Amino acid sequence: MRLVIDPTRCHGHGTCAQLLDEYIRLDKWHYPIVGKQKVSAGHADLLMRASQLCPELAISIVDD
Amino acid sequence: MIESVSASIMAPTGPRRLSLGWESAHRPSPSGRVVFVSDLSPRPRLVMPLAEHVAGYGRLPSGLTMRMALDTLRASNLTGRGGAGFPFWKKLQAVATAESRKSPVVIANGSESEPLSKKDTLLLKNNPHLVLDGISMIAGLLGAKSAYLYVKDREAHTAVNAAMRERRERGISELRVTVVEAPAGYVSGQETAVVRRIAKGPALPQFSLDRISTSGVRGAPTLLSNVETFAQVAIVLRFGADWYRQGGQGSDRGTRLLTLVGAVGRPGVYELLPGATLAELLREADAGDPRAVLVGGYFGRWVDLGTPNSTNFPMDDQTLAERKLSFGAGILGVVGHDTCPVVEAAAITEYLAGQSAGQCGPCMHGLPEISTAMARIALSSDVERGMHDLRAVIPLVEHRGGCQHPDGVIQLVRSTVGAFAEEVKLHRSGRCTARGSHTSVLLPPGATVAAGAVVR
Repeated sequence: MRLVIDPTRCHGHGTCAQLLDEYIRLDKWHYPIVGKQKVSAGHADLLMRASQLCPELAISIVDD
Repeated sequence: MIESVSASIMAPTGPRRLSLGWESAHRPSPSGRVVFVSDLSPRPRLVMPLAEHVAGYGRLPSGLTMRMALDTLRASNLTGRGGAGFPFWKKLQAVATAESRKSPVVIANGSESEPLSKKDTLLLKNNPHLVLDGISMIAGLLGAKSAYLYVKDREAHTAVNAAMRERRERGISELRVTVVEAPAGYVSGQETAVVRRIAKGPALPQFSLDRISTSGVRGAPTLLSNVETFAQVAIVLRFGADWYRQGGQGSDRGTRLLTLVGAVGRPGVYELLPGATLAELLREADAGDPRAVLVGGYFGRWVDLGTPNSTNFPMDDQTLAERKLSFGAGILGVVGHDTCPVVEAAAITEYLAGQSAGQCGPCMHGLPEISTAMARIALSSDVERGMHDLRAVIPLVEHRGGCQHPDGVIQLVRSTVGAFAEEVKLHRSGRCTARGSHTSVLLPPGATVAAGAVVR
């Protein structure tokens, strides 16, 4: 699983980076930088929550 | 389509230039490979009537299958003329093979959002039938239910409407093309912005996990290409790939439109015939002794003529690619010895930073920082810090936008500090090679920027 953030929607709230700090860090403007590694199955719930809690609904989950 | 006469791609005799209507008024250069077509305010003086158009270019081929069209377009090496330079046959194939229950949509992009470009407006004003031929053929091959022409210029709009009326009056049965007005703004011509506008949304880029070839306008497979590309398609599918690429006699084969601007005696739209070199083009444009050329427009790359860099190379896709250049949006910007190319680039960078749609954080916050860094380098205020900031900020912006805008700016910035490393070194000691009035020559008319203000 991977997460993809729509940069046109993201307003840099940072919720995703709090939940998924292993995969996402914030740049100096507080916008998320998503790492290249896939999200492990054990973190699927966290990923789902991050997607649901994003205030801008900018996160998509891609299965590949 | 225009009356059917043949099931094969035929090659009638007749003029085959895009700027046909102007041929009698403008003679080619002594080498015969560069044609000055129009100055930078092309007027619709010689709109070609349909009868003359058909007499000149010949009728559209009928009985053309998708397979034949793909093979011909592939063999012709025709690439998109809007900026990305993607092989047109691949684009067509992607839409033709997209798995979708919706019928495909065809869009010709004539928004010409690069403010220095005039070639698309010229083409639409003077040869709208050739563009409409291309749209008609592609829409027919795809079985599209809707086709659009996205246009900004008012007079181009009028010319296109007149041409479509003529086609209807002549009883040509083809898919009706809907003309959609493109709003102002640099990003309004970006692929996804066009798709959004056609679906009656705002002309702003949008993010999608899908390519528009599978899911574009309202989810339909969408083929979007520049208007010149459609005109080229109408020529290639008439005369065949061999003729387009290499056949015919001498200069009698495929051409390309370019807008040439900047420090030249004769800025304007030029039609390049095969083999035309940069040197010939510069001579024809009365460029004198230029310092540098920005090839491809604002997202382009520089050729520094201050080094022993020959301009005697043919202007074709392959040769440009070997030199890490590309036609981009078909614009060449010439800088003389009066201005500094680094200052020019800083002014353009600032203009482009102001053209961000403001949707994506890295673009919205990063481009102004990149622009400030470029100004420090250009104006010798703090070159060290400017270079340091570029190295720090570029990785935070690159590949993080929802469209090509930030990456295009980064390409320009990289090319500038790369091609003019010596100039940047001079700036470190507070010097600059510019020796003239410092009037910026590559900013769009009417644009004011702080870095530009210094040079104005």
